[in-house]
Amino acid sequence: MSALVSDVGTRTAVAAANLVKVYGKGDTAVRALDGVSVAFTAGRFTAIMGPSGSGKSTLMHCLAGLDNVDGGNVHVGGTEITSLADKELTKLRRDRVGFVFQAFNLLPTLTAEANILLGLELAGRKPDREWFDTIVDVLGLRDRLKHKPTELSGGQQQRVACARALVARPDVVFADEPTGNLDSRSGAEVLDFLRMSVRKLGQTVIMVTHDPVAASYADRVVLLADGHLAGEIDNPTADSVLSALKHLGA
Amino acid sequence: MLRTIIAGLKARTARLVLSSVAIALGVAFVTGTLVLGDGMSESLRDEFAKGARNVDASVTLDRSSSSSSSDSSDGPTGISPEMLAKIRQTPGVAGADPRDFQQVPLLASNGKAKPAMAVPLASNEKLREFDVVDGRYPTAADEIAVDKRTATTAKLTIGQPVVLLGKDDKRLTFTLVGTYQQGTNSVSLSGGDHIGLTPEAFQALQPDQLPYEVVATAAPGVTQQQLVDNIRNAVGAGFQVQTGEEVTRQTMAQVSSQAGEFTTVLLAFALIALVVAAMVIYNTFTILVAQRTRELALMRCVGASRGQVFRGVLAEALVMGLTASVIGLFGGIGVSALLQRVIFSFDGGEGVVRLPVSGTTVLAAFAVGTLVTVLAAVLPARKATRVAPVAALRSQPDSGEEVARTGVLRVLTAVLFGVIGVGAIVFGMGIDDEETAMVVSGAGTMALLAMVLVLGPLLVGPVNRVLGALPRALFGVPAKLASANAGRNPKRTAATTAALMIGVTIVALVTVVANSAKETANAEIDQRMPADYTVSSVVYDRPLPKELAAQLAAVPEVAKVAPTTVVYGERAYFTGIPRDAIGDLFRPTVTSGSLADLGDGTVAVNAEYAKRQNVSVGSTVEVAPQEGTPQRLKVVAVVEGQRLSDGIMTLETSLRFPQAVEGYDSILVKLKDGVANGRAAVEKVTDPSPLAVLDSAAETKEQLNQQLNQVLAFIWALIGLAVVIALFGIANTLTLSVLERTRESALLRALGLTRGQLRLMLVVESVLMAMMGAALGLLLGVGFGWVITQALSTDTMAVDLVVPFGQIGVMLAGAVAAAVLAAALPARRAARTSVVAGMAEA
Repeated sequence: MSALVSDVGTRTAVAAANLVKVYGKGDTAVRALDGVSVAFTAGRFTAIMGPSGSGKSTLMHCLAGLDNVDGGNVHVGGTEITSLADKELTKLRRDRVGFVFQAFNLLPTLTAEANILLGLELAGRKPDREWFDTIVDVLGLRDRLKHKPTELSGGQQQRVACARALVARPDVVFADEPTGNLDSRSGAEVLDFLRMSVRKLGQTVIMVTHDPVAASYADRVVLLADGHLAGEIDNPTADSVLSALKHLGA
Repeated sequence: MLRTIIAGLKARTARLVLSSVAIALGVAFVTGTLVLGDGMSESLRDEFAKGARNVDASVTLDRSSSSSSSDSSDGPTGISPEMLAKIRQTPGVAGADPRDFQQVPLLASNGKAKPAMAVPLASNEKLREFDVVDGRYPTAADEIAVDKRTATTAKLTIGQPVVLLGKDDKRLTFTLVGTYQQGTNSVSLSGGDHIGLTPEAFQALQPDQLPYEVVATAAPGVTQQQLVDNIRNAVGAGFQVQTGEEVTRQTMAQVSSQAGEFTTVLLAFALIALVVAAMVIYNTFTILVAQRTRELALMRCVGASRGQVFRGVLAEALVMGLTASVIGLFGGIGVSALLQRVIFSFDGGEGVVRLPVSGTTVLAAFAVGTLVTVLAAVLPARKATRVAPVAALRSQPDSGEEVARTGVLRVLTAVLFGVIGVGAIVFGMGIDDEETAMVVSGAGTMALLAMVLVLGPLLVGPVNRVLGALPRALFGVPAKLASANAGRNPKRTAATTAALMIGVTIVALVTVVANSAKETANAEIDQRMPADYTVSSVVYDRPLPKELAAQLAAVPEVAKVAPTTVVYGERAYFTGIPRDAIGDLFRPTVTSGSLADLGDGTVAVNAEYAKRQNVSVGSTVEVAPQEGTPQRLKVVAVVEGQRLSDGIMTLETSLRFPQAVEGYDSILVKLKDGVANGRAAVEKVTDPSPLAVLDSAAETKEQLNQQLNQVLAFIWALIGLAVVIALFGIANTLTLSVLERTRESALLRALGLTRGQLRLMLVVESVLMAMMGAALGLLLGVGFGWVITQALSTDTMAVDLVVPFGQIGVMLAGAVAAAVLAAALPARRAARTSVVAGMAEA
């Protein structure tokens, strides 16, 4: 594990330069991202925040290669992704990116274990059993592996999603409002785990959230407003984030 | 409420269109059938109208009075020329002509005869039944007119000679002076040739034959009734004289019932198509209601009552049913036009496409389309009323949650069907009469089919596991996901595949039974035809000349010939065959008695005939031919075998009957061992004879197989529509499922499923569903086929089960191909949805 931690704070995991994303055309065109340049250091936990409509989800989608961009470029682990074709993007997501979404993270037809291993199976990779066991035990999912998602609580489902995101050892994990649908206790568990995965396992996590408390778990907060970068907070607390947001007029 | 319904219909147009197609196809089948039936009877009626035009009185023999007073063979067989002359001289008669027909061999360009229907052309212009197309009507006895199609197929042009075979195969040469157009009737539909001669020439062909009818047209100012009264006075007793109107009425009734039989068969297939369509509709509405749980709950939240929700769903079904009915109605008219064109093209002639749309047809289209749709939507609509208002607040539930709670009721119903089915099959197999046995056992198999349909949701799991194994091994993760998807909602999958299963079951059943019958018949032919060739006559009532047998016997390559004769008694016919050929060229199986005893004045009867007439070895049977004296023959043996006549006698015994003296029915030929080109040697003798054709066992089989294949192709085509509808059902379910799973697909794409893999997943899912229906259907069809062949088997004749693996392979391959096609659109749609848009879907 020490090897993983070694380049913390030195290597850039994900970077965007002059990112532009426009929805619609002509008069109704909306510039969701208007020249955003931002870099995310490997081995750190970053929260992207901003009021509704600030473009934070769009930024995440573009960074993760889920959506195409209208200008600028994005690097994920050294690869320029805006010029990639769908097939290569898919391969990139499958091999180097992990996701935790707000809801509907799991396939209802598969067991928790099959869901965790789904990404690896799609990539045709053999799971590292030791690593799998570590994650499962840390997340307390051992006795839930044979259950279908409908038999799991919301918090358990989100933890399964976290396990899936981490099991492939991706370059970066994107979490899109991962606690949005959870009660505060389950939410705290998930956030604790995300922070732990960064601190102890050397993972890189980028989380989109509108909850200042959730953001306070991160090492750094990137603030977005109207498609522009609007500031940064290092080592944030709930209060410092809240006041920064107020400042943005949210 | 109405506004909500309309808005809902607008929003879901795409989803409803596919289901509408299914129901429209069913309606099109029904209306197409009805229009075709009406068109056919209309054209028959028109044809008759041509025959009946200007007929004011018709004179026929009064059968009812003559049969009681004297034996039918002694009485007059038709209307004599003297009587015709008398009618012509009756006051008020402007013209009278005989109506008659006979089969005459027409010599084709290759020198071989083919049977043609000959009619006398009326001398009175007003009484002519046909319209001249080219040239003119024959006026001299050596002139002839042929129907237009005959002219085309036989390549005859006006001015050319046409050769007919008269009595004793005398060649009679006529000059073609004109062609005429027949309407659609049984002769033109059968593709037979049709020729017209002057009454004198017609009479000369068969001087003994008397016309069955004389028609007369009235002089101006004479009513039909006056004319009939006058003629009745003139001809006296023993004749039936009717007005033209009466005759028309009678014939109309006959014509309608004839066309009715044909349409009944088609309607049976239309019914199957509709049942399948109803299942598709039911499934669609079930899925739509499940998907709209939140929307329906929201409506309940804002104050809609259960009744309003129920009526809302039904109203949607009503609109859809009405739309589909309209499309189906017009589609059906198109189908009918197409079918008529196909029939005409088979005929080689051109006919007029008739598309009468009666009120009944329109009513049937709407009743069937709308009623079926609304009924199919009742259960889903009821389910919609059970949605609690609070459901609006919950997140959209996965449809997999409302999966088969496998009610006790379901299992009990299935057991009930199973018991009825097995009972009927066992009982049916015990029945001696094949037809009844088949009907009873057939009903039993349908009960078993119902059992499987009811059990469907329980079967999906295990069947899916078995069928999914291969794709899982071949395609990995996408196939694994597909298999999981196919099994996630067993009720939905069962309902989707059931439609296909019904179609495939019936196709497989029919195919297995037809092939089994074919093989059985083929085996029988092999056993029955040890001769290398059979020479027979192309025209059934023209026997082969006797010298042909001697000529054939003289051919050096020929080892043995055996001429056979045929003797017709009342409701029975017997074969005469030389004594020394029995057991050699002719080998029936003997069940009792001995063929060694078959000598002069004795007969060996077929087992079936023996049973029917209740005779056994030692009894005496009386064979009463139409002409000549009845003969009493002693039964010395009972034999069996398919396609055998009612009995066999020696050639010498058969010569006691005048009809057997005229010539031979067939000549069996056996070649010497090791002869290379025996066929050519035999043909050298048969070729000059216009009537003789050469058949080998192989050719007979080929002919039989061809006929059976044609019937099979017809049934495949008819059931094909049900299968097409079922495939629409699969496409429909898949489309709806894809919409329902938009977020899931997006998630998979985000996690690294490529577009191609997503498409593959949906294709595999579609193929799995199709295979579930097809595999179960095939299993059932073959099983049911076995039941039917067992039911058809009697003590005297065993029908062996033959499973046509080739055809079944074709069916399976077809199902797979169609399933891939059915998945094409949904898969395209799913793959094109962007990940972000998919995730955003509520």
